[in-house]
Amino acid sequence: MASLFTRPRAAARRRTASPLLYLGYGMLAVLVLTAIIAPIFLDHAATTLTSTANSGPTHAHPMGTDSLGRDMLARVLVATRETMLAAVFSTAIAAVLGIGLGIAAWLAARRVREVILRLIEFWVSYPTLLVAIIVAAILGRGLAPAVFAIGLANAGGFARLTANLAAGISTREFVVTARLMGVPSGRIATRHIVPNMAEPQLILIAQAFAGALVELSGLSFIGLGAQSPSFDWGALLNEGASKIYTNPILIVGPSIALVFASLAALFVGDGLAAAANPRTNLRRARMLHHSGTELAPLTPDTLLSVDHLTVRHDDSGRELVSDVSLSIRRGEVLGIVGESGSGKSVTASVVSKLLAEGLTATAARAELSGADLLGRVSGRELARRVAMVYQDPGTALNPALTLGNQLSDVLSRALGSTRRAARQNLLERFRDVLLTDPEGRMRQYPHQLSGGMKQRAMIASAMSTRAELLVADEPTTALDVTVQREVLTLIKRMNATMGTSVLFISHDLGVVRALCDRVLVMRDGRIVEAIDDVAHMTPEGVVHPYTRQLLEATPIVTMPGRDIEGAAR
Amino acid sequence: MSHSIDASDSLSSSGLGIPGGHNAPRELRASSLAGAWRRFIGRRLIGLAVNLVLLVLVTFIIVRLIPGDPAAAIAGTDASQSQVDAVRAELGLDKPLPVQFGQYVLGVLHGDFGTSFHYQLPALQIVLTAAPYTIAIAFASLIVFLFFGLAIGIAVGIITRGDRHRWLDHVFNIGAGLIASIPAYVQATLLIMVFAVWLVWLPPAYSPSYGLAQSAVLPVAALSLGCIASVARITRREVAVVLEQDYMRTARGWRLPSLTLYAKHMLPNVVTTALTLSGIILTALLGSALIVESVFAWPGLGTVSVQAISEFKDYPIIRAAVFVIGTISLLFTFFIDIILGILDPRTLGDHRG
Repeated sequence: MASLFTRPRAAARRRTASPLLYLGYGMLAVLVLTAIIAPIFLDHAATTLTSTANSGPTHAHPMGTDSLGRDMLARVLVATRETMLAAVFSTAIAAVLGIGLGIAAWLAARRVREVILRLIEFWVSYPTLLVAIIVAAILGRGLAPAVFAIGLANAGGFARLTANLAAGISTREFVVTARLMGVPSGRIATRHIVPNMAEPQLILIAQAFAGALVELSGLSFIGLGAQSPSFDWGALLNEGASKIYTNPILIVGPSIALVFASLAALFVGDGLAAAANPRTNLRRARMLHHSGTELAPLTPDTLLSVDHLTVRHDDSGRELVSDVSLSIRRGEVLGIVGESGSGKSVTASVVSKLLAEGLTATAARAELSGADLLGRVSGRELARRVAMVYQDPGTALNPALTLGNQLSDVLSRALGSTRRAARQNLLERFRDVLLTDPEGRMRQYPHQLSGGMKQRAMIASAMSTRAELLVADEPTTALDVTVQREVLTLIKRMNATMGTSVLFISHDLGVVRALCDRVLVMRDGRIVEAIDDVAHMTPEGVVHPYTRQLLEATPIVTMPGRDIEGAAR
Repeated sequence: MSHSIDASDSLSSSGLGIPGGHNAPRELRASSLAGAWRRFIGRRLIGLAVNLVLLVLVTFIIVRLIPGDPAAAIAGTDASQSQVDAVRAELGLDKPLPVQFGQYVLGVLHGDFGTSFHYQLPALQIVLTAAPYTIAIAFASLIVFLFFGLAIGIAVGIITRGDRHRWLDHVFNIGAGLIASIPAYVQATLLIMVFAVWLVWLPPAYSPSYGLAQSAVLPVAALSLGCIASVARITRREVAVVLEQDYMRTARGWRLPSLTLYAKHMLPNVVTTALTLSGIILTALLGSALIVESVFAWPGLGTVSVQAISEFKDYPIIRAAVFVIGTISLLFTFFIDIILGILDPRTLGDHRG
């Protein structure tokens, strides 16, 4: 369902690979080529002892020579093969072990799975190097034990990712269907589970490769990895570091190589991650006047008037709302009905001056109680004039703050209330909306309340500022039927007793009929029908075929007390 | 290391790594918060106990898993038969397996991991002397990286919200990426180069004559720089995520002043996630501390255990060190989880550990 901030995702999200991803691929290609070629041509220079020992940077030896006169540049380039191969093997061990274990956990019986998952947690909660130390203690020093150790240590991460992904995928419809059809688990794993986790696994592989490279070189650096005469970047860096006072140039080569390689992996990993979760790049929302239309002066009892409103999506140029005009009188309840994507929520977001980023609204006029919504309106004034209730009470409240704490913020903003006054005000409103134990509720966090209670708290908050206009965007959609009715009653009571005007957005004509004085029907960004006499609308009485369809598809909802309250007004 | 951190980071961004999240228990009454704490602490203590048992098991089998005759391998190729037998007796390898294990467990319960081959002192004593040095630099780094990482990440996240100031976004991404990808031990080497060799401001290695604090500056810097970059990257991304949440829209709808909006409504939600990931970062940091210590000859657990492996084959020390390092990382995680529970009671409900 649409809500105030829905943005047209398909249009805004561009699936473009970032230039950094290509840069990362390019750098990796350079590394692979070096790993292949360098040992063929430079092995001699890298390993032959010469008389020019401990040379600084010279023309012949731009990165100096080590204590045995071997050219450092050649050694760094040649070491690329050993370093890369070690990291590749280590990552392969991690991925195979980890993914295998993750899948096994998923396939296993419930009890066994719990045990495996616990073991995985145990595994990943220790530093990689601790595992490396254990393996080195068992198998001794050397590159092969180090490769195994780092692979083993990183397998935990793969196992956890796999188990998590499998748990997510296995509840998806196609897997459930396959299970119901009696497809064996192993086959489901290879056909459905594994292919669907390729993307996150690929990202983790890129990251694990970079990690393995750095960690393996780290082990060599402290003497647990590559042993002389074999050498990788870490071993070379160790040699250089031991001569940091006498021949500091020696650390340059291995340092650059290590940074280059881990940057390459970082770019690839980030690039893949960015391609998997593209970020929307949206310009700030704009609200503009368009001139040239003659406007009738507003009558004194008009609270809100929006004339010839058009909202465009900046990137695609698509019109989400086309030439919509509406007005609300003081004390009136106006409904906007339409299916999702009809532009009703976007219209509401203009009215509440909360237009989403990446959208541009133009209108001949948008005035709320004398304030020009297209111009600058102070936050305090808006907070005082407009209150909002949203579709999903579960996510609309801040999970980290208690109800009392967050709901009194709006009061100090709108009315300048002191903490004590705000609290008193809220307590009374909580009683108005029939929340049990109001004092206790004030101290509770949103997750301690049910959805219906949260929505009532939102309405209490809206009542507390005595706003002139309540914008309610599908406030009942996420609630079950009995709670729906209570919420509608509360909104109706707020309208009747406090004189608050309401802009009520819904896709449900039945709900709208029970609450609203007038209804606008929207479709594809346009108003297709305006119904002034809601109580007596019938499929025969409406003009537009779309409205008739909606009406015929709607069961009749009546709300207790509507007639009484309507008559009392 | 920084990369394993980013790996866990990508887990969290797909919503898998964060406990609690949006499916926290629906009806948790305020009065039951104490109960939730009790259950949480109880569960974590059981987890801790299970982990300690596993650690004892692992340290026991380290020696058993040495290929061939462990005693001969440990004593070395040029050792005499009597030396090999001495090693065998010291490690209890001459007895049947169940007896070995029983003796080992009994010893561990009394804090006895055997006598160090090299130092001829109780292994646990050597390791516990070294532990405070490691804890000190790890803890100092934790404070430093949390403070700077959060501050930088939040500032950049707010400034670049909704695609504002795209240049800063690029500068930050490349700068933080670069720093996060330089391994801690390379940073350590470069820091020594600049501050000890060229500028001669700080000692290149631990030496009692310089004062502990001065000796600690470079190790802490080497450990925290990469973490600052990682935490800043995570925090920045998290700021972007939180700013898109419905409750932030609600707060904007209330037209709250910027300070209230960010400091009160955004910050707690960002910090929870950042702290959750900091637990993982801290574990990784403890790992790099073990390497970085060797660069600075810092007399902590890393130096002790690496020496024990590569120079002395000092298995009592290795066992004690593995046990203590493991315990420290368990306790770190435990305390981070408690802080998280205080900040966000929803995390008490998750079923980990």
